[in-house]
Amino acid sequence: MTGREAATLGVQLAGLALAPLLAGGVQSVKARLQGRVGSGPLQPYRELRRLWGRSAVEPIGAGPVYRAAPAVVGAALALCVLVVPVATVGAGWPAGHDLLVVIGLLALARVAMALSAWDTGGGFGMMGASRDLSFAAVGEALLVAVALVASIPAGTTDLRAMWAASSGPEVWAEPRHWCGALAMGLVVVLETGRQPIDNPDTHLELTMIHEGPLLEYAGRDLAVLQWAAAARHWVVLVLAAGLFLPHPSEIAGGLAALALGVIALVVALGVAETWHAKMRLLRVPPILLAGTALALLGVVSWAAGGGA
Amino acid sequence: MTDALSLTAVPPGLWRETIGGLGRRGGLPLSLFAAAGPDGFPEVRCLAETGDGLMLAVCPALDGAVPSVADVVPALHWDEREARDLHGVVFTGHWPHRPLVHHPADLAEWTTPVTGDDVHQVAVGPIHAGVIESGHFRFHCVGERILHIDVRLFHTHRGLEHAAEGLAPDEALPVVRRACGACAVANSVAFADAVEQATGRFPDDATRRARTVLVELERVYNHANDIGAMCAGVGLAPGAMVFAHAKERAQRIIHDLTGHRFMFGAVAVGGSGLSIGADAAAGARGALAALGRDMAAAWRALLFDASLRDRVAGAGVLPHDEALRLGVVGPAARASGVGRDLREDAPRLWYPGFRAVLPAEPVGDVAARMEARAVELAQSLALLDDLLAGAVTPGSVTTVDSGGRHGAGRVESARGGTTCVVELEAGTVRRVHLRTASYANWPAVARAATGAILPDFPLVNKSFELCYACVDR
Repeated sequence: MTGREAATLGVQLAGLALAPLLAGGVQSVKARLQGRVGSGPLQPYRELRRLWGRSAVEPIGAGPVYRAAPAVVGAALALCVLVVPVATVGAGWPAGHDLLVVIGLLALARVAMALSAWDTGGGFGMMGASRDLSFAAVGEALLVAVALVASIPAGTTDLRAMWAASSGPEVWAEPRHWCGALAMGLVVVLETGRQPIDNPDTHLELTMIHEGPLLEYAGRDLAVLQWAAAARHWVVLVLAAGLFLPHPSEIAGGLAALALGVIALVVALGVAETWHAKMRLLRVPPILLAGTALALLGVVSWAAGGGA
Repeated sequence: MTDALSLTAVPPGLWRETIGGLGRRGGLPLSLFAAAGPDGFPEVRCLAETGDGLMLAVCPALDGAVPSVADVVPALHWDEREARDLHGVVFTGHWPHRPLVHHPADLAEWTTPVTGDDVHQVAVGPIHAGVIESGHFRFHCVGERILHIDVRLFHTHRGLEHAAEGLAPDEALPVVRRACGACAVANSVAFADAVEQATGRFPDDATRRARTVLVELERVYNHANDIGAMCAGVGLAPGAMVFAHAKERAQRIIHDLTGHRFMFGAVAVGGSGLSIGADAAAGARGALAALGRDMAAAWRALLFDASLRDRVAGAGVLPHDEALRLGVVGPAARASGVGRDLREDAPRLWYPGFRAVLPAEPVGDVAARMEARAVELAQSLALLDDLLAGAVTPGSVTTVDSGGRHGAGRVESARGGTTCVVELEAGTVRRVHLRTASYANWPAVARAATGAILPDFPLVNKSFELCYACVDR
């Protein structure tokens, strides 16, 4: 392993610990915009410490699927963080750095949560899981379309090559890149479970999507799942910043651009969540479909331009 | 004086015609409850508008049964169920009887059977994920679509009406007031009016003005709260925050004027002890004017918020005829185009020349209920501006006749018409019945949300913003 690979690996490992800071950052920005002091970006860590110190209780009749879900979700997201590189190089391990692997791992986590809701049969869990899966039917098409449009310049879904291919100013001359960036914005909102698609702060059980299945968990299990939700922020924000925000191809400048990009996206999420009310539930799939169409439009524009 | 209460004894054979036919004769049934008659046997009483005053119709429950009127007057459906649960009166023809206050463990006893392909139930509460009063909602759905809702309240029934029995009216007032914090003034004034009517007394100008100030102050902070709550229901933080702030400002003004944020203790039976000096009144008037300007600006901002309009327009529609059928009151009724407001005819309060205001398009959706609050806020602030132009002085009551045993008080609370019926005996309360606007409107929440999608229910519910405590009294 070269020094550069070791450095980027270090950032990726730090990502496991830094992820809650992103979720806390969004909350912090929101609080400021809403005229509240807020509890600061470190609040998720306090929450995790509090939950970690508590015993887990489980619903009567819960089976192995319910018990396994936090471990599966936590492991899938941890692997995601390690698969998504933070620069044009990354440690060469067997898991690789393939975007399709990330999509698969996110889907695995989603399925594990849905199965856990099915296992306990709790009304809110089932409701949230069914909504999540309904959105995923369209949302995964959106993800794949974005992956397609983003992989065009590199000709591969290896994220290190895609990172390199999307660096520099030239890529912004292509309409394909703009279409992909807009579609990626939708992916960010969907996968982080934020307004206008979902509301992570709500106490209204009937409106919950991602929070629904979490209602059945407590203690350490809930801590793992909350960390996984934060890790989702890390994964999609790093992807969005690395693939669709301006960055240089060399390592040090790339890392700095990545940090700035992620911070900008955190602020953008906070602004969007304050500015926009939650959408009516049935409006979400058409919007996700529109995003997919936009990404495909990017592919068409590339093909029409001679596929160069 | 136009609020004489006439007492009418009705034999069971004529009960359905007397109560059920009120609508044809231009009248309106208001509340129905059971009580012990003079001989100790149960009887059913119904307060109604007859077109030329209020009537208290009384029907003896021979063999513990009275003919049901719930099929011809659906607005009294809950009243009959409650009277049966609490007083054991059977309503002949009311079938099936689904307990309202009693909570049987067997679902089949209290829920409506809903069957069909893919129909499933979602149960919410009585313990919620947020700080919400106790209420259980059982949704029968297909997918996200709501087919029917069974509402089960009364989880914190306190027996306040029974607790007030045997107390002198001024001792009973704090008990009745305890029904609800957010409607404390409306409930207190309704009780005071009822007692004063039963004892043949009428409030003087100072008392009427003082009580009107209190009722309108209560409306201002409640309406500000309700608009904010609807914004919170769709996760629109700017609207929720600015109206939460407005509510807090209103309550601080109220605290400065009355010494209590909910105006507990500001209403008395047989007069008014509220004294606001000219300086304090002028100060409050200025503060309310500033609050009104800020709320008007915030409301304009909400009108132009596309993401909010998208959620509230067309959501949770309560059609005009359904609002009439269910006896809906207050801003919810006016949002469905029912132009009723008790303030138009309130001789015991101070509303000269008052006319109800309706939203521009009273189509009965969440947007209309939200706008109803906004237009009434401006109206209430204008009333207060007039009432606080001078000092508010203590007042008394004048004796106008010898009175009877019974009295009825009606007040337009922030949520709508609240009715209180009192029976006195030897200077103490023998029976008091409080029917709040929330009680009248809860069945309409279930009706308005039918056909909506599940995640819209909290918004529809908040657009009515009813009290649980006002029902669980």
